[in-house]
Amino acid sequence: MITLNVNGQSYQVDVPSNTPLLWVLRDILHLTGTKYGCGISVCWACTVLINGKEDKSCDVTVGSAAGKAITTVEGLSTMSPDPNNPLNRLQKAWIDHQAPQCGYCQSGMLMRAAALLIEYQGQDNPVPSDGAISGAMQNICVCGTYQRVKAAIKSAATGN
Amino acid sequence: MNDSSIFKPTVLDRRQFLKGTGGFLLAMTIPAGTNRAMADTTLPANATGTAYIRIGADESITILVGGGEMGQGIYTGLAMGAAEELKVKWEKVKVEPLPASASWLSAGSGGIRSRLPTFLKAGAAAREMLVSAAAQTWGVAVTNCQAVDGTVKNLLNNDVMTYGQLAQLAATLPVPTAPALTPAANYRIIGTPAARPDLVGKVNGSAKYGLDVVVDGMALAIVKHAPVMGGTLKDPVNISVPSGASAVVKLGATATNPVNNAIALVSWLPGANTWGLMETMKNISGNIWNTPANAALLDSTVFKSQAMSLLGRGTPFIAEQKGDVDTAFASAARVLEMTYTLPYLPHACMEVLNCTVRMTPATAPFTACEIWAPTQAPNSVLSTASAVTGLPKTAIRIYPMFMGGGLGRKFEQDYITQAITTAMAIGRPVKLVWPRSEDMQRDQYRPMAVTRIRVALDAVGKITGWQNRHVSPSISAQRRTTPLTAHDANATEGATALPYAFPSRLIDYVQHMSPIPVGYWRSVGYSINAFAVESAIDEVAHAAGVDELVLRRQLISASTDPLAARTLAVLNAAAATAGWETTAVPAGRARGIAVAQAFGTIVAEVAEISVTLTAGVPTNFTVHKVACAVDCGTAVNPNSVEAQMQGGIFHGLSAAKWGELKWTAGKASVTNFNKYRMTRMSEAPVITTTIVNSGAPMSGTGEPGVPPIAPAVANAYFKLTGIRVRDLPFFPGATMGG
Repeated sequence: MITLNVNGQSYQVDVPSNTPLLWVLRDILHLTGTKYGCGISVCWACTVLINGKEDKSCDVTVGSAAGKAITTVEGLSTMSPDPNNPLNRLQKAWIDHQAPQCGYCQSGMLMRAAALLIEYQGQDNPVPSDGAISGAMQNICVCGTYQRVKAAIKSAATGN
Repeated sequence: MNDSSIFKPTVLDRRQFLKGTGGFLLAMTIPAGTNRAMADTTLPANATGTAYIRIGADESITILVGGGEMGQGIYTGLAMGAAEELKVKWEKVKVEPLPASASWLSAGSGGIRSRLPTFLKAGAAAREMLVSAAAQTWGVAVTNCQAVDGTVKNLLNNDVMTYGQLAQLAATLPVPTAPALTPAANYRIIGTPAARPDLVGKVNGSAKYGLDVVVDGMALAIVKHAPVMGGTLKDPVNISVPSGASAVVKLGATATNPVNNAIALVSWLPGANTWGLMETMKNISGNIWNTPANAALLDSTVFKSQAMSLLGRGTPFIAEQKGDVDTAFASAARVLEMTYTLPYLPHACMEVLNCTVRMTPATAPFTACEIWAPTQAPNSVLSTASAVTGLPKTAIRIYPMFMGGGLGRKFEQDYITQAITTAMAIGRPVKLVWPRSEDMQRDQYRPMAVTRIRVALDAVGKITGWQNRHVSPSISAQRRTTPLTAHDANATEGATALPYAFPSRLIDYVQHMSPIPVGYWRSVGYSINAFAVESAIDEVAHAAGVDELVLRRQLISASTDPLAARTLAVLNAAAATAGWETTAVPAGRARGIAVAQAFGTIVAEVAEISVTLTAGVPTNFTVHKVACAVDCGTAVNPNSVEAQMQGGIFHGLSAAKWGELKWTAGKASVTNFNKYRMTRMSEAPVITTTIVNSGAPMSGTGEPGVPPIAPAVANAYFKLTGIRVRDLPFFPGATMGG
């Protein structure tokens, strides 16, 4: 049995410890907001936060994730109790900018953006530059939502 | 954040899905005229092209929309039409998928264009029925009643009743056949950048795509096809079920083809998961497959030499002919001849193919079948299910799920057939998934193409003749048993009906018989032909020493094509936004322009690029900006139009730079995204979209953003480097890391 802490909840799963976290989230815990795109750590559709840092859940074994704080898109809105935390503005900014098209890669986008905003919290300038956003957001979006996603991240970071 | 996604998990229960709300349901078909209102208990079967509006006693307003939502905004555009005429606030409207029996096909960028009138009329009819119900209740004339934001107001005494209160009575009233429509000038919803109702679920993880479906007691299955294209499963063959799986099911090529070409590996063991099945699949011997005798010929080099030789022989079908081309070329002062080639392309949707099926009872004889699928063609899924199960369509229910991209691939039925076959064989519900490698290697690809354009110029450099011979596999011919008797219009679309004044022209088509399955890839023939045509026009401009924009203007202004005036306006709008004639191009950059019509929508794009040199050789280019102008008649939702243009440009750009799938001895070169590079945010141009509302009949926007971008960047690339790229992609063999 492996104990996972996902979105503040504890789960016991009985799978080989080398099973990728992605498939435990999706097929066993039925937390299907985290998406399968490539399975080889290229597309970033499966991005989750592990102890507040981004990681590709297809490339993280469930054994190595045990005991760590895992956050999926389903838990993004409850990460911070502070309504003024930029994390709590991300999803609204996404909608304000009408960012998703098919939407499939967007949970990975959101979680990568969340990690970026966490990284910038407490810095002198908590707003990442265009270059920093583009450098961080390696997610593949076949629909081409990049322009709106970038604008949404800036809105969330600045509160405007 | 609330879960207000269109597909709540409850949609997985069909009784929930169809449960009445005590209100009424208006079904309106135009122009057939079989309109009726009914108690909201069921939907009639086999009503196509129908708009459904459901008004609940709880004040809920639900618009039921067919086809499939793959990001193109179909659930928004049509519902906006119904809401406009209903006079309800857009925020109050919910959208649900129509059951397949009443659904349609999402293809040809026609979802909103062809159906908006029906939705407008249905909204207006429902509104008039609600107003009549209020008038009857109050005992006043309908002229004394007015629909306002989901209520009806009594103009004599300001009494108000809500739609929910009126719904039950309204359902009993006759359906008006010619309801009064709101003049376009008074629209309050159409033409505004309305928020899409499906986005909340898409940002909080609750939106259910096909791959997210979970049905009680379901098994998981993954598919593996014969490793060589055209290969089959040996017969007889004995495949023992490996440890870690529960069953192996043989899968036929189509609903009616008894020859098996794939297997499903299935598990209902505790802890079953997709990755576990992929690992277990490795333990199945490769010795179970037959390799086709012609495997060595299934090779990109062979395909290309076949196509090149077909340019000069074979029997062409004429697609378009005007004037005397022979004389034009015989008397030409100069002839330009250019050959363009394009590769096979996979769709590479972010969501792999998948389908979930539940048979009732679990084992034969079956009485019912339910299917949860990401599909562009719910109605085709219904036909497939009936053919595979032998059940009547009334015993089959399809739940169209959100698609993580469709792009023309989720129109096909192969993955549906496989899932049904598997569920029938294993005696329990199953979710069947194609691993990414299968999705890439068993696609129905955009056809490869070789196209040769010859241009006759007179002594002053004016075009007197235009010849375009197009050689490619035929999508339509692969889908039927009889040979082609005329050109394949999908193959030549975008090569014909050009808005340019060519005094003589001949466009013809030679079919390239190729065993690689081909299909409809976002914008189909247009993306292929626009590359050749708009590159060739540019080559003429450079040969004649005329600015590329100026030449296009001259050719369009002199044309009698019905779209010429609109094309010119779009071209000028894109050029103006790009500053083609007003803003100097920054050092180290160049601009290229292209314009193309697809599905009635005209799009022009100006790309501003710079190149990366490695040891003096261009190895990449950066598109800094794209100025895009689009005329789709009338934009229902400018927000969606802009998004679709951005999407089309990215899709076409990635394909032009890197997109290629090659064949070697029947095996595909692309197995995953690491070998199919896509544009990332750091490489993304800033796209400016200008909507030219010409007031022409509405046309679609899902696909027309794609065609102009490849020639626009090729034309810019030539100006910058002097290298004319006629063979796509620009940079073959590209790879991508994480």
